[in-house]
Amino acid sequence: MAEIDTSGGGGGKHGGKVRAKKLSTKVDLTPMVDLAFLLITFFMLTTSLNKPKAMDLNMPKKMDDKKVDVKESQVLNVLLGKDDVVWYYETQEGKMTDMKQTSFGATGVREVILKKQRRVEKAFGHDKSVGDKTIVLIKMAEGAKYKNMVDILDEMDITQTKIYAIQDIVPIEQETIDHDGKVVAGKE
Amino acid sequence: MPKVKIPRKSTSVDMTAMCDVSFLLLTFFILTSKFKPTEPVAIDLPNSRSEITVTDAIKISVDKNGKAYINYPSAAFRLHALAKMGEIYKDKYPYLVNLTDKQKAVFGQVETFGCDARALPDLLTKKPDEVSKITTGIPMDSADNQLGDWIMAGRYADVDLNHPSARTAIRIAIKGDKTTDVKAVQQVIKTLTERDIHTFNLITTLAGASKREAAPEN
Repeated sequence: MAEIDTSGGGGGKHGGKVRAKKLSTKVDLTPMVDLAFLLITFFMLTTSLNKPKAMDLNMPKKMDDKKVDVKESQVLNVLLGKDDVVWYYETQEGKMTDMKQTSFGATGVREVILKKQRRVEKAFGHDKSVGDKTIVLIKMAEGAKYKNMVDILDEMDITQTKIYAIQDIVPIEQETIDHDGKVVAGKE
Repeated sequence: MPKVKIPRKSTSVDMTAMCDVSFLLLTFFILTSKFKPTEPVAIDLPNSRSEITVTDAIKISVDKNGKAYINYPSAAFRLHALAKMGEIYKDKYPYLVNLTDKQKAVFGQVETFGCDARALPDLLTKKPDEVSKITTGIPMDSADNQLGDWIMAGRYADVDLNHPSARTAIRIAIKGDKTTDVKAVQQVIKTLTERDIHTFNLITTLAGASKREAAPEN
């Protein structure tokens, strides 16, 4: 009642020794987890996930003396024009036929190439895989975009066309495209 | 009737495991992510279904307007290429021979550059950030094909740095914008083929496409 408590904090009974309170060693980790997930979210959103890929492109070496014997019915000429338009034609007896117009994608130029492959297959057979005797000549007309070039090279891969080449466009071909694919008379 | 007392359980969960996992993920993302290199212009890559990855390569960017830029793999590579430019083409680029160490150091820090070599010594007295903002493009017409010289300097630098004896040439990759006129890209390709580089890569992004769809009957 009238005593004066001389002991410290808690341990009055044990000879006046001062004892620190035992604190739990457990820490609440919830804020730390919050922070970690916040950082993860930040990194995931700021990093661009699409790693750039690359496609191989082989250009022919210049060999003037080496000529490959090719039948004209093996060859399909594909011309890339402006506004994602694809023109194609074949030659008959050294003469250009009227160009036809198509588009990119499965129902467009891919179908054209696959049909051509089947016709070449019927006429010439094949060496290793279907259509490996088909030759596609790719030419860039006025106004073609780089995207079109990549797309057509992609089509070569999809249709498994083994022999293809990117060539310079001939003036007559450009002229024909300008005339909506009709061969200009006397200039074929 | 005696009441069945369900002992109350604590609602707090031990967060240690969760914390471990989240930091593991965080570490993983930090270590695997690579910072986007600073580029003078943003290049919107075309899609393709090719899945080859190119790591070490001399990258030639072609922007929307058909301007060319060059990007060497590392700072050491850039310095070496610059030295080669002064060494091999010292008659053509006399102003690249006697650059100060400070100018060279700035060049080492510019990841992608696209400017006329004549403007380079002056530009290199500025900060690297400013140099990488120049979008005049490296000339690549047949009269003054500096791009070709930079490529050759890069190839010589690569021989010195990476393959002193054996010869596995560094890859050349073309990074064109979707909407670039194909003529500009063809000019780059011509520049390469004229220098006997016949195999190179086109950098694209991956697009989903099915392999050889059912062939339509004719």
